[in-house]
Amino acid sequence: MRSVWVLVILLVLLAGLGPMLAPYDPTAINIPKRLSPPSSEFLLGTDALGRDILSRLLHGARWSLGLAFLVSVISLVIGTTIGLSAALGGKIADWTAMRTTDTFLAFPELVAAIVIAGLMGAGTWSLIFALSVTGWMRYARVARGISLSVRNRGYVVQAKLAGLSGWSIARWHYLPSLIPSLTVIWTGMFARAILGISALGFLGFGVQPPNPEWGSMLLDARVHLRSTPLQMIWPGLAVVICVLAINLTGDALRDAVAKRDAPE
Amino acid sequence: MIKTIGGLLLRAVVVLVGTAILTFALLWNAPGDPAQAIAMARFDALLTEDVIDQVREEVGLNKSFWPAFGDWLGPLLRLDLGYSAVTGRPVWPDLRTAIGYTFPLAFAALGIGLAMSVPLALVATKRPGGLLDRFAVAIASLGNAIPAYWLGLILILIFAVKLAWLPALGAQTPAHAILPALTLGLGVAASLTRIIRSGILEARGEPFLPAIRRRGVNERSIGRDHIAPHAAIPVVTVFGLELAFLLEGLVLVEVIFGRPGLGTFLVQGILARDFSHVQAVVVLTALVFVTVNLAIDLVYRVIDPRIGQNNA
Repeated sequence: MRSVWVLVILLVLLAGLGPMLAPYDPTAINIPKRLSPPSSEFLLGTDALGRDILSRLLHGARWSLGLAFLVSVISLVIGTTIGLSAALGGKIADWTAMRTTDTFLAFPELVAAIVIAGLMGAGTWSLIFALSVTGWMRYARVARGISLSVRNRGYVVQAKLAGLSGWSIARWHYLPSLIPSLTVIWTGMFARAILGISALGFLGFGVQPPNPEWGSMLLDARVHLRSTPLQMIWPGLAVVICVLAINLTGDALRDAVAKRDAPE
Repeated sequence: MIKTIGGLLLRAVVVLVGTAILTFALLWNAPGDPAQAIAMARFDALLTEDVIDQVREEVGLNKSFWPAFGDWLGPLLRLDLGYSAVTGRPVWPDLRTAIGYTFPLAFAALGIGLAMSVPLALVATKRPGGLLDRFAVAIASLGNAIPAYWLGLILILIFAVKLAWLPALGAQTPAHAILPALTLGLGVAASLTRIIRSGILEARGEPFLPAIRRRGVNERSIGRDHIAPHAAIPVVTVFGLELAFLLEGLVLVEVIFGRPGLGTFLVQGILARDFSHVQAVVVLTALVFVTVNLAIDLVYRVIDPRIGQNNA
C-alpha cells in the first residue's frame, strides 16, 4: 500500500514538475540530429524531427495525466448528478435517467469516443468531450444504486420528516455514503482515461502535433519501427507505468473499502 | 420468468431506439458541412456552391432532423443500410467483407484468452498467496495496463521485424491473423485471469462446501460440480465488459496491422466523413452489444436462480 502511494505521488510530481525537468524544448526541431540513438546529449534519443524524446515524454505527462484527470472528474460530476437525480426524482425521472444510461452503455466506450472525437474534428476539446460523454455511466449507476439503498434508512427518513429538501438530503446523506465507491470507480476510470487519450492520440484524433502526448508520440514512432525501435518503447512504457500504478491504487482502495464495510 | 424476459426485451428495444437516435443525432450535429465533404470526396476537386447544394439535396441533408431521421431509420429497419455517399457503392457488401475479417479475429482472441486464463487461474488458486499465485496476479495486472496498440507494435517488432517469422501488415493469409489475434488475446487473458481467479477463491469460501465434503463427496467432484459453476458466474457477468474490451481493441489492432476489418472500416469512414459507413458500424456494434448483454442477463438467471427473484 505504501509503495503504491509513493508511486502516485511520483506521478503527480511528474505531471507537475515534469516540464521543468525537461532538458530541451519539446517542440524544438533539430533536423541534423534526427532519429539519433540514446546518448549523453539526448538521454532517450530524438524523434524524426530531431526533437528530444525525454523532453517530449516529460511534457507529455502533463497532457496525458492532466487531461485524464480532467476527463475522469468531468464524468464523475455528470454521472453522480444523473444518478442522484434518478434516485431523488419520481419513477418517470428514474426510468428516463436509467434508460439513457443504458443507451450510452450500449456503445463500447472507446469506440464511441473514437467516433465522436473523429467526427468533431481532431483536437483537445473534442477529445475531452468525447471521453467525458462516454465515461459517466458507471458513476450514475452506482450513485443511484447506493442512494436507493440508503433511502429508507432511519436517518434519511428522519431528515425527510424534518423537512429537508431533496437536494439537501442528497448533499448531506447520500453523497457521503457514495464517496468510497465512487472513489474506487474513479481510479479505474482515471486509468481508462489515460488509455483512451493515448489511443485517440495514436489514431490521430487526440492531442494535435506539435504538442507532445504519449499516444501521438507512438503514432510518430510507428513509422520508424524498423530503424529506431526504441523510440516506440518509451511512450508506451510511460502509459503502462501510470496505468499500472493507478490500477494498483484502485485495488488497494477497494480492499480498504471492503474491509471497512465488512463488519456491518 | 416470462414477465422478466418480457421486461428485459422491452428494455433492450428501448435502448436500441435510443442508440439509433443518438447515432443519428451525433452525425447530424457533426461540425463542418457534410455535403461539401461528400462532394469533395466524390469529385476530388474544388466545387461551386450549386454542385454542393445538388449533393446536399441528393443525399437528403437539406431536411430537418426528424424527417431525415425517419428517412434513415425506415430502410434501416428493413435491414437496408443504403449507399455510401462517398463511393456510391451499397454499404452492406463492403460491411460484410469487413465483418469477415473481424469476426474470426475476435473469436480467435477470445479463444486465446480463455486457453491462457483458465489454466493460469487454476494453477494460481492451487495455493492462494503462493509464489505462482502472486506471479499470475502480477502478470494479469501488467497485462491490464498494457495498451493493445503498444503490445501490437512490440509483437510486430519482435516477430515480424527482428525474427521475421510472421507477417505484420495485411490480411492475405491466415498467418497474418496470428499477431493481431495474439495482441488481443493476451489482453483478454489478463482480465479473465483476474476474474476467474477471484471467482474460484470466492466459490471455495461458500459455506455449503464443508457440508458436502463431510458427506464424503470427493475433491474432484466438488471442484467440477460445485466450485466450477460458481466460479463461472462472475465470468458470465463480465462477458459484456470483455466484449466491449474486444471491440475497442479490435479497432486499434486492425489499424496497426492494416487488417481491412470493421475497425479500419470505421476509422476510414470517419476520416472520409462517410456517414453511412460510420452509422452502419456504430449501429451494428450497438446491436451486437445490446443482444449479447440481453443474452447475458438471461443466461445469468438460468445458471443462478437467486438472481432476479426480488429485483427484476
